[in-house]
Amino acid sequence: MKAGLGLLWEGFFTEFFPGIKMAAILIFLYFVLPSKMMSAEIVIMALPTLAFILLLGYTGLLHFGIGSLFAVGAYTAGILLARHQAHILMAIIAGVAMSGIVSLVMGYFCIKRGGLIFSLLTLAFNQLIWFIIFQWKSFTGGPDGIWGIHRSALHLGVFSINLKPTFNFYIFVIIFFVLTFIFVRRLIESPFGKVLVGMRESELRATAIGYNLETYKWIAFIICGMICGLGGTLFALHQEYVGEHLANWFTGGEIVIMALLGGAFTLHGALIGSGVFIFLGDSLNRFTVLSKAGAWLFVLGVIFILVVLFLRGGIYGGAEKAYELFKKK
Amino acid sequence: MINIDAILPQVFNGIQFGVLMALLATGLSLIFGMLGIINFAHGSLYMLGAYFVWTWVRFLDVPGNFWLSLILALPLMAMVGLILERFLLQPMYGQPVVYQILITFGLMLVIQQGVGLVYGTIPLPLGIPPLFEGEINLGLLRYPIYRLFTMILGLAIIYAVWFFIERSALGAIIRASAEDPETAKTLGIHTRRVYTWTFALGSALAGLGGGLHAPLIGGLQHSIGTEILLICFIVVIIGGMGSIRGALLGGIILGVVRGIAGVFWAPASDFVMFMAMGIILLFRPQGLLGRGGTR
Repeated sequence: MKAGLGLLWEGFFTEFFPGIKMAAILIFLYFVLPSKMMSAEIVIMALPTLAFILLLGYTGLLHFGIGSLFAVGAYTAGILLARHQAHILMAIIAGVAMSGIVSLVMGYFCIKRGGLIFSLLTLAFNQLIWFIIFQWKSFTGGPDGIWGIHRSALHLGVFSINLKPTFNFYIFVIIFFVLTFIFVRRLIESPFGKVLVGMRESELRATAIGYNLETYKWIAFIICGMICGLGGTLFALHQEYVGEHLANWFTGGEIVIMALLGGAFTLHGALIGSGVFIFLGDSLNRFTVLSKAGAWLFVLGVIFILVVLFLRGGIYGGAEKAYELFKKK
Repeated sequence: MINIDAILPQVFNGIQFGVLMALLATGLSLIFGMLGIINFAHGSLYMLGAYFVWTWVRFLDVPGNFWLSLILALPLMAMVGLILERFLLQPMYGQPVVYQILITFGLMLVIQQGVGLVYGTIPLPLGIPPLFEGEINLGLLRYPIYRLFTMILGLAIIYAVWFFIERSALGAIIRASAEDPETAKTLGIHTRRVYTWTFALGSALAGLGGGLHAPLIGGLQHSIGTEILLICFIVVIIGGMGSIRGALLGGIILGVVRGIAGVFWAPASDFVMFMAMGIILLFRPQGLLGRGGTR
């Protein structure tokens, strides 16, 4: 018990300052970026990207169903907030739990087959969830989505914070992001995370040592889903609207691109990737030539192929390499 | 009570759609079986084939232009396949599987958006070729000739591909290069070239599927490939990866189930696809005719 508390204390100390530093950088970002709404979107989209990196970079699973889990979180929070006037924190917890439950079921089917089939199955499940959301008009609003979500006051016992101003909401989002980031980093450093990495390196060896890979993969899958759900709930609050397009596989595809762009083997890749993706997308769309009929996506596809061919570590990995070259000279 | 007259055309449509999907899935399966790559760009190649046919039909304003276009689109698609394999997939051999998926995923995006840029996003209509307009009396029902024709042609092509792979001398070379590349190399087979041509064949099959399906779609859009890709994936999951007969069986089962479910409640036709996939995964994870195990 004492050792456990000590570890917790130690963990608090090792993570406290990096966490504060990260929050400070993010707040700085808010004042630098051209659009205030964009900064919140960047941090929110970094959450599912982080979840994706946890699976791809540290477990070796390529998850194409991120979008649907994101949407499950968003819809759960949206429905609770718009129709039942739920407490914001309750809505977030419910969204995370719901995504967790959905990933539990989804994972049960997907984990059975490794490698290539895993990716196909997650994609198929993604479309199944999208299909349910799209067709169940009475509950999810179908193609209309859910309107009437208000991020009003967050009541915390004695005092309450108004989340309507963008900056207040941004701080609210940052708190969730930094906590999640620390959680994922602790997870990777934990024995559980070491098994995941060992599994990525060699499934055969990990099996021979005696780990039950399916269980480990399943747990990682569920954690990933819950983080996506958290991102979704925050997104619902951010947009104050939830639409079925969130569940379509293109959302998941965008997150795949963000992760690879930023760097799929480092947790920092999540924030870098979503930042570059959203910033570039926003600025490129303003050019007249590129705003035509999804030209931005075409450019993005080309960049993505180049990254996969030549820059596996993404922007973070590239910068690291460049830094090492620079240091040698 | 729904009578048989309502169901029978749907069964036929289901088989016809299933054969087309099986044609695509055969290409997908072939590429997977030989190269060990799941081609996410397969739907985009299907879409590209349809657009090639549309372009040629516009360009050649002579009777029978649809057939000419279909034939002209084949080598074009094979060429696209050759170029893609040579420059994008070859660097990926021996790399982790995820990168192979990711590169085809990027390819899908590029092809789809590229076509969107060139042709615009407005649906482009392509009429049914005059030779096969109208319906034919099959005794129990009247059925559009063109649909019947695609069904027969699709089956014939799938059979031809199966025969080519499983029975011909060239097919033996392809199978040898897939199963044991080292030994095949020792015997003087240029395995890398075999992979390239297999991918080209797969691309041509996808393009052919697109070209044949194009008159039935109503309007070509650059996004038609994504839905088809998903159906294709479900077909190979049901039928079993890397098996041509599995692709055919999976395609027909899926098509018929979809068609019948659609009679009762239109949205159900998509839902049953996933149901079928879930059931197969629970009881036979390697697919109906799969060889078992993942490569």
